[in-house]
Amino acid sequence: MNPLAGNPPTSRTVHPWVVVTALLAAATVGGLLLDRHVSLTSQAMLYVLAVVISSYTLSLWPSVICALASVTALNFFFVPPRWTFEVESREHLISLFTMLLVALVISHLAAGLRRKSELADLSATRAHRLQMLATGLADISLAQAVVEKGQRALDDAFGGPNTLATRRDDGSLVVSSGEPENLLDGLMSCMREGAALGPGTGRWPGLNAWYIPLGTGEQVQGAVCIENVAAADTDGREHAEALCALLGQCLWRLKLTSAMKLSLAETQRQQVQSTYLAAISHDLRTPLAAVLGAASALHSQGDKLGDAEKDRLLESIIRETGYLSTVTENTLQLVHLSNAGQFVVRGWESMEEIVGAVLSRVRQRDTSRRITSKVPEGLPLIEADPVLISQLVANLLDNALKYSEGPINLVVSVTPLRLELSIKDRGTEIPLEQHAIIFQPYARSDRSGQRGAGLGLALCRAIASAHGGELTLRSRKGGGNSFTFSMPVNPLQPRLDLV
Amino acid sequence: MSLRVLLVEDDREIMAMMNSSLSVEGFDVKTAVSLSEARALLQHSPPDVVVLDLGLPDGDGLELVQHIRKQHALPILIVSARHQESQKIQLLDAGADDYLTKPFSVGELLARIRVALRHRGTALAAAVTEHHVDDLHIDLSLRTVQCRGGLLHFTPTEFKLLARLVRSAGKVVTHRQLLTDVWGPEYTAHTHYLRLYMGQLRAKIEHDPAEPRHLLTETGVGYRLAAA
Repeated sequence: MNPLAGNPPTSRTVHPWVVVTALLAAATVGGLLLDRHVSLTSQAMLYVLAVVISSYTLSLWPSVICALASVTALNFFFVPPRWTFEVESREHLISLFTMLLVALVISHLAAGLRRKSELADLSATRAHRLQMLATGLADISLAQAVVEKGQRALDDAFGGPNTLATRRDDGSLVVSSGEPENLLDGLMSCMREGAALGPGTGRWPGLNAWYIPLGTGEQVQGAVCIENVAAADTDGREHAEALCALLGQCLWRLKLTSAMKLSLAETQRQQVQSTYLAAISHDLRTPLAAVLGAASALHSQGDKLGDAEKDRLLESIIRETGYLSTVTENTLQLVHLSNAGQFVVRGWESMEEIVGAVLSRVRQRDTSRRITSKVPEGLPLIEADPVLISQLVANLLDNALKYSEGPINLVVSVTPLRLELSIKDRGTEIPLEQHAIIFQPYARSDRSGQRGAGLGLALCRAIASAHGGELTLRSRKGGGNSFTFSMPVNPLQPRLDLV
Repeated sequence: MSLRVLLVEDDREIMAMMNSSLSVEGFDVKTAVSLSEARALLQHSPPDVVVLDLGLPDGDGLELVQHIRKQHALPILIVSARHQESQKIQLLDAGADDYLTKPFSVGELLARIRVALRHRGTALAAAVTEHHVDDLHIDLSLRTVQCRGGLLHFTPTEFKLLARLVRSAGKVVTHRQLLTDVWGPEYTAHTHYLRLYMGQLRAKIEHDPAEPRHLLTETGVGYRLAAA
């Protein structure tokens, strides 16, 4: 019924000739019923009313026919001599002729009005559709979802069939509908030329479908074929192009976003690597020099050195290589963690066990027995990689031993949803401005002039975040530092299926 | 006659270090730089203990462990780097007796060899039924555990787990071995059983369960009942 929108017929399908007949019958019956009370002029008005109604509700031709039929019916039923098509007086002839003109003018005006309001409705619908599509595309992150939304909008606007083709990263085409063979040529040329093809576009007007690119110039991300264009107008094509431009922009945005993410990840990876290289050159060279010096002294001057001096050199070799081994272990683990990202194999582990095992190892270095521990009974199990958590605890304890003289407390505490492990020392307070950078790989503070833990704290923090937890530092009242590792506890604890 | 050690290690420096340390302690040391060489030496002069490095050039240490276990009851010590964790556990499960992680000190190496040899000796003579270290006295045949003078009570599963550790006292027992022997082979993934039961055992046996002296944790590998 509506040639502009090309929409499928709506449910309002009363035949126009039925409407014309009903209107004429109503006017005639009304005129006859009022025959005794009114004049010919009023009866004519009833017919004019029928013409106005038909003009506004029906399309042009039925309303013109209605106008002609009204004049004829007025002449037949009411103009003397009645019940004939003849006209008695010249005055009546002029009246009939005038009424015919009025009826035609009315039907013409009404049809124009109706056409305009339909156009306005259509533009409103199109504007709304565009806006909905733009809103819908705003927070999309997958090309597939863009294609699905685009397909829905096009089907809504043009009926079917519509075919969407998008270009993958590797250059291959993904086509939305099932049988694209006969459309492929058109889609490909459309993408190649980056311009719309088909009727009204000035390119390939002989085609019976529109081919519209998604995006412009270098940024063409695909193309659309709209086949239902037989009755469509310029506005319709512009609407199609506007929809396609939106889809093209969205696809281009997604492509840029993913490219940006990739390059950001690559930059970070390179930064990490160069940090490690800088780290290795600094942290490994010094102890290596010490070991080499001590060993070569023992080798070349062994017979001249006293026993005490020899012991001192040997101890230095053992100490420095121990340090080298820790640094290597931390560096490798940190590289491993930053490569594996958040992917850590986690099982049900007991913090009490992990702490116990670490303490028994660290106590060998804690000759003055400065470490005291407080681990409550009945701790919940945590989901963790036990080797990593031990490394975290051992690093923190080693740091505390290295940078402080007084007592060191290891305290574990638990709330329903989190488990906390704090290591508190009475060493020199780390200045507040260093709290943030101390966890960065090799942004070490030269505490007490000692060799830094280097990657130690960076690794601890990486381990904490790999477990969904965090590692924080705060200064203690009365002097000293407190490092706290906290991680979530799964309230769904595993149970024993049997006793 | 001195005890014979077979060192399987492809790194020349570490080989030389272990060789001289063990020789000084009075061991008769044979060395192999590859699995095939080790197999040949095992054929001709079976040693009393094997020290096997992971990551040899000509193949998987697992084969050698399985090969040795088919013919000999001699103890096998695994030497591994940190990144060979899973391989190490695999070999322990296959029957290796203990492990050392690089870098290690000579003292550690000697201590592990002593434990492995002692254990193997008693295992050949008779199954271990008693364990006596400090204030802890376990008698498997009487099913009694005494600690700090008092008699302790255990559930059947707790006792089974403790008994399994006693039979390998001083040696690491992997999670898989414990779960298989105490609960059954279908429970090898239920490591939380071990966490919970070891917690209960420690609460009963240890003076300070948070810093155990008897029931030691080998983080990520298994447990060890401290030997005298």
